[in-house]
Amino acid sequence: MTRLPPWAALAAVTALLALACLASLVLGARETDLAGVWAVLRGGGEEHLRQVVAAREPRTVLGAAVGAALAASGVLIQGVTRNPLGEPGLLGVTSGASAAVVTATAFLGFSGGAATVWVALPGAALAVVVVHLLGRPAGTHSVVPLILAGAVVSAVLYAYIQAMILTRPEVFDSYRHWAVGSLAGASYGTLVAVAPALVLGVVLAAIAAPGLNTLALGDDVATSLGTPVALLRATSLLAATLLAAAATAAVGPIAFVGLAVPHLVRALVGGDHRWQLPVSLVLGAALLLGSDVLARVIARPQELMVGVVTAFLGAPFLLWAVRRGRVTT
Amino acid sequence: MRARTLPLALLLTSAILAGGLATLAWGELGVRLPDLAEAVRGEAGTKTVFVLERLRGPRLLVGIGAGLAFGLAGALFQTVTRNPLGSPDVIGLGAGAGAGVALATLFAPGLVPAPVGAVLGAGVAIGLVHLSTGLGFASPARVIITGIGVSAMATAATQYVVAVALRDSSTQLAGYLVGTLNSRSLGQAVLIGVILLVLAPLLALLAHDLRMMDLGDQLADALGARAVRTRTWAILLSVLLAAAGVAVAGPIAFVALSAPHIARRMVGSPGPHLVLSALVGALIMVLADFAVQHVGPVQDLPVGVITAGFGGVYLGYLLITAWKKADA
Repeated sequence: MTRLPPWAALAAVTALLALACLASLVLGARETDLAGVWAVLRGGGEEHLRQVVAAREPRTVLGAAVGAALAASGVLIQGVTRNPLGEPGLLGVTSGASAAVVTATAFLGFSGGAATVWVALPGAALAVVVVHLLGRPAGTHSVVPLILAGAVVSAVLYAYIQAMILTRPEVFDSYRHWAVGSLAGASYGTLVAVAPALVLGVVLAAIAAPGLNTLALGDDVATSLGTPVALLRATSLLAATLLAAAATAAVGPIAFVGLAVPHLVRALVGGDHRWQLPVSLVLGAALLLGSDVLARVIARPQELMVGVVTAFLGAPFLLWAVRRGRVTT
Repeated sequence: MRARTLPLALLLTSAILAGGLATLAWGELGVRLPDLAEAVRGEAGTKTVFVLERLRGPRLLVGIGAGLAFGLAGALFQTVTRNPLGSPDVIGLGAGAGAGVALATLFAPGLVPAPVGAVLGAGVAIGLVHLSTGLGFASPARVIITGIGVSAMATAATQYVVAVALRDSSTQLAGYLVGTLNSRSLGQAVLIGVILLVLAPLLALLAHDLRMMDLGDQLADALGARAVRTRTWAILLSVLLAAAGVAVAGPIAFVALSAPHIARRMVGSPGPHLVLSALVGALIMVLADFAVQHVGPVQDLPVGVITAGFGGVYLGYLLITAWKKADA
C-alpha cells in the first residue's frame, strides 16, 4: 500500500473529525436538519431545536475527548509493551473502574449519574497502581510480568464484581447500564471532572512519543542510544493510565478504540510515534463520534450504546486487517 | 522430571476423591461413606438416592469432567501458542458461548436451552476466528488477534442484551454467564465423560509431537513433529474440549488458564503436562464447588466466581514467587 505523507494523513483524519462533529450535532434519535442546527449554532433557531442541540453539544465534545484519550492510550501502551494487542484494559483500568462503581453502589448507596467519575477514576488508578506493584519485579525490563499482573488483577476484580452483582439485584441493575459504555446523558460537568487527567495525560504522551521510536528497537539499543528506558516507560504508562481511566470514568468501558485505532494509524503513517500520536488523537475522536452517531440513528427511535457499536465496527475491521496480513504480529 | 509425574498424579487424584467425598458428605443432606456403600449395593434409602442422583452427584461429576476438559484445553493451547496467558477463552470461546446464550434469551426466550445456545455461540465464534485468520489455526498470533476481535463483538452483544433485557431474566443470564454447576443432570455428566473418552486417544497420539513444540517450530519440524499440523490439531482439540466444558458447566473462567501453570509449577519443568493439568483443573472445580455448596460467605454463588477469584489470586502468588526466585 502506498502511504500518504504524514501531514496529509493528519489533514485527512482532521477532515473526518470535522465531519463526525457535524454529524453528531445534526443526526440523532430525533430528526433535525442541517439548516435548523446551523441557525441554532449562530444563536437563533427554534426553541425545541435549541434544546436538542444543547443536549448534543456536550455529548459531541465529551465523545471526541474520550475517543482521543482511548486512542492515545492505546498508542502508548502498544509502544511501551511492543505488543500489538496492547490496550488500556490490560493494565486494569476497566476492571478497577468497574469494581469501584460496583462497590460504591453496594455500600455507599451511590446511584450513578455524573458523580460516577469521582468513583471510577480513583478505582481505576488504584487498580493500575496494584498492577504495577505486582508486575514490576526488580532487575527485569520485561513487560510480560506487567501484562500477567494486569490479567490477574482484572480476573480477581471481575470475580468480585460478579459476586456483588449476583447477590445484590439493585447493584446489578445500575451496573449493567454503566458497563456497556454509553454517551447518552453526557454533560459538561463530566468533562470538567476528567479534564485535568486528560490534559496531563496528553502532555505526558507528547513528551514520551519521540522516545518510543527508539524503544521500538529494543531496550538495549534504546539504552545505548541514550534513551532513559525506565523513565520513558514510566511516563508512557502513567499517561496511558490517566487517559484511559479518565475516559472510562466519564462514559463507562468502551471496547476497541484503544486497540484498533493505533493499528489503523500505523497503516496510515507508519511507525513514527511523533506522527502516530496526533493522528491517533484525531482519528480516535472521529471514530468514537462516528460510532455514537451510528448508535443514535441505527435503531431509531431507540438508541444503541456506543460501546456496542465500536465493538461491532472495530472487530470486523480487525479481522479483515488480519486476513489481509495488514496487522503485523 | 517424568519420575515426578506419577506420584503427583496420584496425589492429585486422591485430593479430587477426598474433595468429592467431602462435598457429598458435608451438611444436613450429607451422604456419608456407609450410605455410599449402601448406594453402591443398591440398598440406599430414598433420601440418599435423591441426593446422589439429583442434588450432589451430577454436579460433582460434571464439575470433575468439565475441570478435566478445561485443564487439558489450557495445556494444549498454551503449549502450541507458547503464550502463558493462552486459553481457548482468549480466542473467543467463552465470550461466544455467553453471547449465544444471551441472544437466545433475547430472541427465543424459553425455546433454546442455555447449553445449546452456548455451544452454538462458541461454535460461531471459533468458526469466525478460523475463517478470519486466512490460515486456519496455523498461525498462533493471528488466531489470538482475531480471537480478541471476535471476543469483543461477542462481549458487546452480551452486554447489550444484559443492559436492555428485563431485570429478572438478565439476573438469571448473568448467573449463567459466569458458569455454574447448579441443577446439573446425570445426562450432562455422561455427555462430558463420553467426550473425554472419545478425545483421549487423539490426545495420546498428539502428546509426543506436542512435547517437541516447546523447542520452537524449526527444531520441532526437524524432529519430525510437523509443527503446523500439530498446532492445528492441538488448537482444534483444545477448542472441542473447552466447548464441551462450556456446554455442561457454562463459560467458567480461569480454570483453563491457571491449571497448566499450577501443573508446571508442581513438576518444576516446562512442558505440556497434559495429565497433571487435567487433574489440577478437576481439583479446582471440585474445591470451588465444595465452597459454593458448603462455605458460608460464598454460598450459592456460581462456581465461576470462585474459580476466577481464587484462581486469579493463586496465579498472582505464583507469578510473584517466580519473579522473586528469578531475582535471587
